[in-house]
Amino acid sequence: MPSQRMQVTDQDLQYFVNTIKSVSKYDFSEYSEKSLKRRLQKILEDYNLDLTSLLTSLRLDKDFLEKVVKEVTVNTTELFRDPPVWHLLRSRILPRFKNNKTINIWHAGCSTGQEVYSMMILLNEMDMLDKAKIFATDLNSDVLDAAKQGVYKYRFNLGYLDNFDKVIKQNPLNFEEYNDIPYEKYFDIDKVRDTITMKKFLTERPIFRKHDLVVDGNIFFAKFDLILCRNVIIYFNYSLQNKVFKLFHNNLYPKGTLLLGMHETILGPWASRFERLGQAYIKK
Amino acid sequence: MKAFANMKLAQRIQLAIILLMVVLFAFAGLTLNYFSRTRTISNAVKEAYVYIDKLIDIANIIEQKTGKGLSSNDIFELKPYFTKPAYNKTDFPSLISRNGEYVLHVTRQGARLPMKTIQEIKNLKANEGFIHYQDITNDIAENRLLVYKYYKPYNAYFAISVSPTEVLEQVKTNRQVMIIIVILASLISAWVVSLILMPITKQLANLSARLKQLAQGEIPPAIKVADRSELGTLAESLNSLIDGLKGTTEFARQIEQNKLDFDFKPLSKNDQLGMALLQMRESLKRAQQEETKRKEEDNIRTWINAGLAKFGDILRQNNNNLNILADNVIQNLVNYLDANQGGIFMFKEYESEKHLELLSAFAYNRKKFLQKSIMLGEGLVGTCAIEKQTIYLKEIPSDYIAITSGLGEATPTSLLIVPLKLEDEIFGVVEITSFNEFAPYQIEFVEKVSESIASTLNSVKNNIRTRELLEQSQQQREEMAAQEEEMRQNMEEMQATQEEMQRKNLELEIITSAINQSLVSCSLNDDGFIVDSNLVFQEMTGYSKVELEGMLLESLIVDTQREEFSKLWKSVLNGQSINTTLHLIGNNGRERFLLTSLTPGFDPMGLLIKVLLLGHDITESKKIELMTQQQAKEIEKNIKRIKKEQELSNLRQREMETLLEALDQNCLVSIIEPDGLITYINNKNVEVLGDKKEDIENRYLQDIDYTAKNKPKEFERFWKSLHKGIKQTREFSLNVKGETRWVLENFTPIMDETGNLYKIINIALDITENKRKEMELNAVIEQLKQQLKK
Repeated sequence: MPSQRMQVTDQDLQYFVNTIKSVSKYDFSEYSEKSLKRRLQKILEDYNLDLTSLLTSLRLDKDFLEKVVKEVTVNTTELFRDPPVWHLLRSRILPRFKNNKTINIWHAGCSTGQEVYSMMILLNEMDMLDKAKIFATDLNSDVLDAAKQGVYKYRFNLGYLDNFDKVIKQNPLNFEEYNDIPYEKYFDIDKVRDTITMKKFLTERPIFRKHDLVVDGNIFFAKFDLILCRNVIIYFNYSLQNKVFKLFHNNLYPKGTLLLGMHETILGPWASRFERLGQAYIKK
Repeated sequence: MKAFANMKLAQRIQLAIILLMVVLFAFAGLTLNYFSRTRTISNAVKEAYVYIDKLIDIANIIEQKTGKGLSSNDIFELKPYFTKPAYNKTDFPSLISRNGEYVLHVTRQGARLPMKTIQEIKNLKANEGFIHYQDITNDIAENRLLVYKYYKPYNAYFAISVSPTEVLEQVKTNRQVMIIIVILASLISAWVVSLILMPITKQLANLSARLKQLAQGEIPPAIKVADRSELGTLAESLNSLIDGLKGTTEFARQIEQNKLDFDFKPLSKNDQLGMALLQMRESLKRAQQEETKRKEEDNIRTWINAGLAKFGDILRQNNNNLNILADNVIQNLVNYLDANQGGIFMFKEYESEKHLELLSAFAYNRKKFLQKSIMLGEGLVGTCAIEKQTIYLKEIPSDYIAITSGLGEATPTSLLIVPLKLEDEIFGVVEITSFNEFAPYQIEFVEKVSESIASTLNSVKNNIRTRELLEQSQQQREEMAAQEEEMRQNMEEMQATQEEMQRKNLELEIITSAINQSLVSCSLNDDGFIVDSNLVFQEMTGYSKVELEGMLLESLIVDTQREEFSKLWKSVLNGQSINTTLHLIGNNGRERFLLTSLTPGFDPMGLLIKVLLLGHDITESKKIELMTQQQAKEIEKNIKRIKKEQELSNLRQREMETLLEALDQNCLVSIIEPDGLITYINNKNVEVLGDKKEDIENRYLQDIDYTAKNKPKEFERFWKSLHKGIKQTREFSLNVKGETRWVLENFTPIMDETGNLYKIINIALDITENKRKEMELNAVIEQLKQQLKK
């Protein structure tokens, strides 16, 4: 255990945020304070630094700053995370786009890409992958690299296979239904190397870009039928959440759908501009 | 002399002969000359005597006339006889007295003979004789010969002085002729000599030229044999020498060209060179044979050494992959031995079952890999492994290989099975078959290589095991780290979610209470039955809460509106929010107009949970209807919020449960109150630690915790830190059913808004497996270290 440390104060957090804002384009000023405090605390503990030296290093060392920014962000994801959401997509959301010529999908905050591959697998099972244009962004270039590789640990992520079974093989609305889709159709499991490796036809499809939701806006010159931004806005404060909702709303086609995380809700001014269906918010 | 020595032999002979001739002729001439001079002189003396005798005869006549003794008459009378020379120009006769006085002489009358001469004459005491004397006239001395005769009557000597020079004058011409003859004779003899010597010298020159060539190592052409003389023999010998040399040279050439079976006969038994060459040829032949033998041995040695080096290299490479290594080894071994088939079997031991497993096979340049397992003692290969001895068979029954060797259907003629052993420990067997026989050195080579293979197999096995262990432990460590990081991130996400939800709940509560104070609200199930209602709704309808529960909303709506409502209800069930004004009839026929929003609520899978009705009683004032409508719009928005918030709060509990469920699968979860009361432990706890739920729940941590009991101070520190909101992690081991279990505990304090401890959640991981592997690894490392020390 690291030695006892002074708790990060509001003042400390302010210094930290201001420093980063002044030397880079990153802006954490509208991030959730409590979460950001804990991240800062963690960084101070991991690097065994006090705040002053951390801020000095941030000013002097661009690489270090990038590293710290990467550590501030949380990258929790898994294959077919929250299976009910995927059932919702399968049964209620995606069928709406069945007759579209193209389907533009944006994974905002795609992390290490499991969500992107889950989406592509589901689309493929629904014979819609050919129409789909997949865009995936994240603030953290390291996780983007991992996402492009499409290689994941096997043993630690045994849950992926359960999720795959729940979403692809089973149908919660009809327990007798069972589609025996082999894993090898989409990924190779190497138990010796302890890896799950996505097939090439999946990894070469999405367009991965580094993107900051706070400042970058829409970088794709396209509107979207579906935007997935799950478990991202919990790290933002109310004001930033609304800005992000605005961004998404503006870049959705009419009847386009925004998918939020299990515990995320649109409250406030943008709530009335969406129709809610579970975790899906459909642009009115 | 030196000039002579340099002369050719012919010249020398010529010169010697000429000189000899000249000397001989000169000697003869001189002798002749001497004798003629002596005879001439003695003749002159005799003639002088005759002349003197005549004078004496005359004197006798005169004496008789004149009387005795010498008188002037006598002299007078005699004088005419003395006036002319006797025979020559100067040999005037003289009359000399006893004292030497010329009594009568043409020119010397009165003069005297030298005293010495007259004395000599007197001493001779002879009456006649001749004497050499020196006549001195006009101071010129002249050798002269005085011939005298004593004439007693006169007591004087009659004498004639003869000059030898004059006498010899006539002999002089003879001498000149003689010299000419000598010279001529010499020349002639020299010419004759050289004429005779000419062919000899020519032959000699030829001989010497050839000998000179021979001396310089050349082989001259044969010489012409002119005659049977010694020179001819010499030339013949020279010719045969040249022939012999030609033969020997040719022989030597043949030897040089390594044609050792060239037919050569020595010139004679004593032919030193020929014999030496023959001996040389023999020893060369011997040396060649030895060389061939040595080369063969060298080739074998080189073959063995190169092979050992080659296999050393092969064994050094690829020694992290047994199969590639074995493939390489057997392929190269078969090719190197020029054999046909080969296989490497590796000794394996699975739970006391020992067998040989075919690691790699090579046959006819085509890999014929068969997963073959041979028991120890089974067939030749199994026997070889047991006996640890090389087996070499030269005759194999045609069906033997297929049955016992395990290499397939071919029927080779030679079979070689060599154990791979290292210090009497068996590591496997190499089997090689060939259509050729194996030479002893090849077998020896295979045995040597086998030792190396065994040694490599041993170390490769060790290496692979070590690397596997190392990789395993490293992987585990990395995984642990990654897992920890992921857990931390999960925790962070959970916490962030929780906070977000708290924030929204707060907002929701305010809205809900506001709604309950001002708006009509009830919730309906998908059949349209009222499930719940608020006070405003109850007051508006005049029914109690209990009465309303289970009532169809449709039953409250006026008949005229029911059809319309049914349609609306269907679209609500399809997921649409509906805003409408409902005309309701309450208890006791109360008529109410309700501006209503009907909002369906779905769960994450999109299944309808309930429909929320929010409404505003617009009956009261038509005046404020517009305003109310305005408000209703505002409210509508809020209603949506509320709907979602309500749903959210519902979900929250479920969410927590799901999370706990997820945690349940992987972690030991327990929830502890700030005072230490354990309110919940999950099944994993029971599973891992064996404690029963009822034994732990509702007890205080300080009562049952090992640290609290044994190290109270440490526990106090731990507990205080938790109260300050600092996460605590600790690791402990426990004996569960005779098995040591390791658990890593993460105590997370949950603080409420005021900063006081609300709850402590302990999420623990069962790390027994990791610990065990770590210990195993340590043990292996320790073992390896000891091996290294050895």
